[in-house]
Amino acid sequence: MNVQTEINTADNGVNVEALMGARAALTDAPAAAQFTWRADCEWMGGVHSRSTVNGFFGLGEEQNHTTDFTIDADHPPQFAASDKGATPVEIILSALASCLTAGVASVAQNRGIQIHSVKAHVEGDMDLAGILGIDADVRNGFNAIRIRFEIDADASPEDIKAVVAQSQRRSAVFDIITNPGNVHVTVA
Amino acid sequence: MKHVNTIIIGAGQSGLAMSAQLITRGIDHVILERGQIANSWRSERWDSLYLLSPNWMNGLAGKAYDGPNCDGFMHVSELVFRFDQTAAAMSAPIQTETTVLSVNTSPTGYVVQTDQGAMTCTNVVMANGACARSNVPGFATNLPQTMHQFTPQNYKRPDDLPDGKVLVIGASASGQQLAREIQASGRQTTLAVGTHLRFPRTYRGKDIMMWLDVIGATSVSHTEVDDIARVRRTPSLTLVADDTIDLNTLQNEGVEITGRLAAVQDGTALFSGSLSNLCEVADLKMNRLLTSVDEWIEDNGLGTLVPASERFEATRVPTAPKLKLDLAREGFKAVLWATGYEPDFHWLNLPVFDRKGRLIHDGGVVSDGLYAMGLPYMRQRQSTFLNGAQSDAAALAAHLGARIGQPLAA
Repeated sequence: MNVQTEINTADNGVNVEALMGARAALTDAPAAAQFTWRADCEWMGGVHSRSTVNGFFGLGEEQNHTTDFTIDADHPPQFAASDKGATPVEIILSALASCLTAGVASVAQNRGIQIHSVKAHVEGDMDLAGILGIDADVRNGFNAIRIRFEIDADASPEDIKAVVAQSQRRSAVFDIITNPGNVHVTVA
Repeated sequence: MKHVNTIIIGAGQSGLAMSAQLITRGIDHVILERGQIANSWRSERWDSLYLLSPNWMNGLAGKAYDGPNCDGFMHVSELVFRFDQTAAAMSAPIQTETTVLSVNTSPTGYVVQTDQGAMTCTNVVMANGACARSNVPGFATNLPQTMHQFTPQNYKRPDDLPDGKVLVIGASASGQQLAREIQASGRQTTLAVGTHLRFPRTYRGKDIMMWLDVIGATSVSHTEVDDIARVRRTPSLTLVADDTIDLNTLQNEGVEITGRLAAVQDGTALFSGSLSNLCEVADLKMNRLLTSVDEWIEDNGLGTLVPASERFEATRVPTAPKLKLDLAREGFKAVLWATGYEPDFHWLNLPVFDRKGRLIHDGGVVSDGLYAMGLPYMRQRQSTFLNGAQSDAAALAAHLGARIGQPLAA
């Protein structure tokens, strides 16, 4: 008898076995799934600031990245600023694109879809009448965000759309942006 | 204390199907029913409800539907009538108006305490339904005191609602159907849409349930699906009797759609911004199903006998769906929580629940002599269908019979 086994040869560089293993382990150990992420931000002068990330809490104990990462945020000359980094809202857009792109690679890997390239173009519309206090009815943040993916993969257009859709359903940043959340600010 | 071999809890489609199996096998049993036969169908459904499954799927207790209109849809009152008829014809040993208060283990099996006294038994079959309680999120208590709140279990008809706008939460079968009739009653209705499915009522000239049945989608065993925990959380089949209902038809009728209700704060309902993705997912899944049907038709050489393949208009998502509603200020007077149902096993004093309080079972087998029935994808998709109870009952009765020493072929 001929037994044919479908072999998943897709390699997007995502260790899906490790992720699935973690999913199984954390299902049985919900406490270990409780993570706290951190960033420390320091004023550099003007509207320029620098955030450093390294430590985080998870799997029941303090953890570290392999090295410090820094992210500079500033504003462009049009805002009479020194332009030493992206604006915070552009960092949000890039975080959203990065989160969804990571999701696309992971979901595709899990579904056995080989990806050749993924490009995401993100736009967020904002009415400055909000942050400048011109109009109280205008919100400070984006009033719309659009993302356009260009994906080259060994799959039908429908299957690629399904991967992108699933990536949104499992994305932390997508959830953070699309749902309300509480923020507590204190001064030491 | 009175002893019976098996106590079945609940006289609905699952309880009657199991009773029919035990009668055939000569196993002594009693059905304990908190109210009357088919109590949930009788008292916890709305007036206008017709079954979502065509009549050929609505046989009870192992008997096929024997009425005049196999492809029609029956009103819930006809179903209740058929329940009474079926129970009488098979002489099902039903003890009505008997509420189970607790189930505990005993040296010989189980002790079932009811408001009519206690009984012991060797086996317990929990056939009290997957829709015992409406699942209402905790933040419902944040709604303004003046807001009238309903669930599909206590909503009966639009005229019971106050005049004014209505927010329906949840866009599965119950939510879409009720949004439609409330909007038609002249009350401007907003539907908050979470994860949902989309189906055409008919495809290529036949009812969609027939296609689901012939391609085998309703009878894949729980042991053959990839992630049974996820499949068991899948929303209900969004269907209405005799007609196609979806977010497009609802918007045509004037219903406004928003994202999933994420929170209620200071009288304001806050909606998620993920509506377009949830609609895209529902469309993709519908098209995947229709492709399976097309392939089945092709593989079986029936392409020339049925109308051609077609695809339906994508769900229309408003350019900027509302993200919040100040309910009182905008004139909303009522909220209907169509946010799903859950079974109720609060009387079961055994360590058989997971950390989220869900019953742990393997295809309905909970532990020695303890069985469940009618739960979502318990053994197959049709476990929650009226006629799906039959094959589940047969499988579990065989397990139960083997346990008490009956030969496998009864």
